[in-house]
Amino acid sequence: MSAALRSFETQWRTRAPDALQPIREAAMERFLKLGLPSLRDETWRYTDLRALAGQSYREAGCETPGAATPGTTTSGTSVSLVNAEQHAATLSMINGCPVLSADLTAINGIEINSIRELYNQNPSSLRRFFDSASDADQRRWVLLNTALFIDGLYLKITEPVSTPIVIRHVSTGDGAQSAHPRIIIDVKPGASAIIIEHHLSEGDITPLNNSNTHIALGKAAQLEHYRVYATGPGATHLDALDIEQSQDSSCRQFTIALGGGLVRSSLEARLSQPGASLDSYSLLVGHQDRHVDCVNIVTHAAPNTRSRQTARAIAGDVSRVIFNSKVIVNAGANNSDSKQSCRGLLLSPNAEIDTRPQLEIHADEVKCAHGATTGRLDPDMLFYLLSRGLDRETAQSLLVYAFLADVLTGMSVSSARAAIENALISQLPDSQTLRKFR
Amino acid sequence: MLKISDLTARVAGKEILTGVNLTVNAGEVHAIMGPNGSGKSTLAQVLAGREDYEVTRGSVTFEGHDLLAMRAEERARAGLFLGFQYPVEIPGVNNVYLLKAALNAKRKAAGEPEVDAYEFLALIRQKMKFMQMSESFLTRGVNEGFSGGEKKRNEVLQMLVLEPKLAILDETDSGLDIDALKVVSTGVNSLRDPARAVVLVTHYQRLLDYVIPDQVHVLSGGRIVKSGDKSLAHELERRGYDWVMGAQVA
Repeated sequence: MSAALRSFETQWRTRAPDALQPIREAAMERFLKLGLPSLRDETWRYTDLRALAGQSYREAGCETPGAATPGTTTSGTSVSLVNAEQHAATLSMINGCPVLSADLTAINGIEINSIRELYNQNPSSLRRFFDSASDADQRRWVLLNTALFIDGLYLKITEPVSTPIVIRHVSTGDGAQSAHPRIIIDVKPGASAIIIEHHLSEGDITPLNNSNTHIALGKAAQLEHYRVYATGPGATHLDALDIEQSQDSSCRQFTIALGGGLVRSSLEARLSQPGASLDSYSLLVGHQDRHVDCVNIVTHAAPNTRSRQTARAIAGDVSRVIFNSKVIVNAGANNSDSKQSCRGLLLSPNAEIDTRPQLEIHADEVKCAHGATTGRLDPDMLFYLLSRGLDRETAQSLLVYAFLADVLTGMSVSSARAAIENALISQLPDSQTLRKFR
Repeated sequence: MLKISDLTARVAGKEILTGVNLTVNAGEVHAIMGPNGSGKSTLAQVLAGREDYEVTRGSVTFEGHDLLAMRAEERARAGLFLGFQYPVEIPGVNNVYLLKAALNAKRKAAGEPEVDAYEFLALIRQKMKFMQMSESFLTRGVNEGFSGGEKKRNEVLQMLVLEPKLAILDETDSGLDIDALKVVSTGVNSLRDPARAVVLVTHYQRLLDYVIPDQVHVLSGGRIVKSGDKSLAHELERRGYDWVMGAQVA
């Protein structure tokens, strides 16, 4: 047994049982039996966890006074992604522990609860968000999250809410600590929301974040969801996002990787009923020696469902970015319409980008397209700009900026877009020049 | 203005230009015609400074300066403009942004102040009207989703904004219907000036009915094999390129 696995087992044994105990026990048992994923596992073939396995992790504590107040972070992003006047609420998760305050319950259309408390009172309302222990390798860390998450936030959206809700996930402390943030977003029929999850770290720490967010969209519900990884370079972030969509629901999801040392980001979406529509955007920035591994699995489980995946990967220095996407069309899910587009841009001879779009189709009448390209800046585009008199640095930066535009322009929250753009630009060559294009 | 002497160039190891000689004086319009594969576009790209086209021999001077020693962006700022045969689409880079950056790069090189945003928008609207382009152009990416005709109009629009000393237009007439051809021709003619020169690279004589050239050259096998006045274009139209190439062999 690896040092990491042993330390997780120790954390588990010293944990006081709660109402979720049977679910947690099953998950932990499964996790210990399967062990950490390795390069032999299909969705982990590009990410070597041996260094992680050799570490011992202790539970990150909840009591960290002052951690929730804005301060400096190691990520290079501003602490706040959204201007104060432009959002409905900011919720904080410190080392995976929700910080709940009374005034958060007063927002129209949103109910915010502790997952543990709600489960204590009314287990049936939450049971569907805890799936039976799965052996799928992309879900391995979700098992550990289920076993070890201290508490989480359950957000129920009951009406259309137009201003964004921000969830700040902050890692703070020192040394090798692990946290398991858990979020459930339940958008009821006809309701809508914009939710931004912002992952940050404070100080120079090497935390392991193993987060899970579960989104359920009711009939005709709409959600724009962001997850922004902006932790420091010492952080390891394993994040799993589950999306379940009912009839005529629509989800726009943005995954933005611009922080962390090792980032593994998965998205599993299930379009369960006709009319469900998903637009997934991924902006994966490899900087310095960062490793970003993004796995998307989208299942069309009903007829007349639609999915779009747009990924832009940029890798500079000695970084590595991986984007694996898979679309599965179940038998009977006729008239499914899916598109996968992934473009990679290499900015350094020592960087690497791997993309793998896949299709698994079990229905007859479908429209599925996929494309993946990776390369350096397009010489024709560069020559065109130079031939108009632009200097080389400006021309190159402009093309890098243009490369990202497809994802950035899809964001409806202007202040979040500006903050993300700003943080992103600071990690690209010629950032001074790039700022002029904004 | 432009003097090309014994220019040879290779593309991907293959010799495409085999000894081009050409002199273009200020105030003149020259047409370079020739069959497909004769090296017309290669000549245009070499003059604009495309780096993967390797010049192996000869010299080119532009207003007395060694053009081949200048980088593409320096050539543009010195007043050379290439209208592309296949203008590339650059999604994410706004048309107006590019034009403004291009104009400012040129002004900066000339020691002039950058253009004011208001002034620039007024200028661009006026030129767009002249080129009969729709307002939506202002918000779109460079050539993004443009039809072939729109792309060519955009090339001429850029030319009108940048007011080059020497404009090289590479098959700007191809793929245009008659109305678009007239608009493009009016644009080119509006630039005619004793201080400027235009080189039209074209496959057909059609454009030359609207933009009357001072000299017509036939490029074949990577060099100019025949030169004459505008009547040469008509003769080519009547007798075909085989006539010139046949004459060469004889």
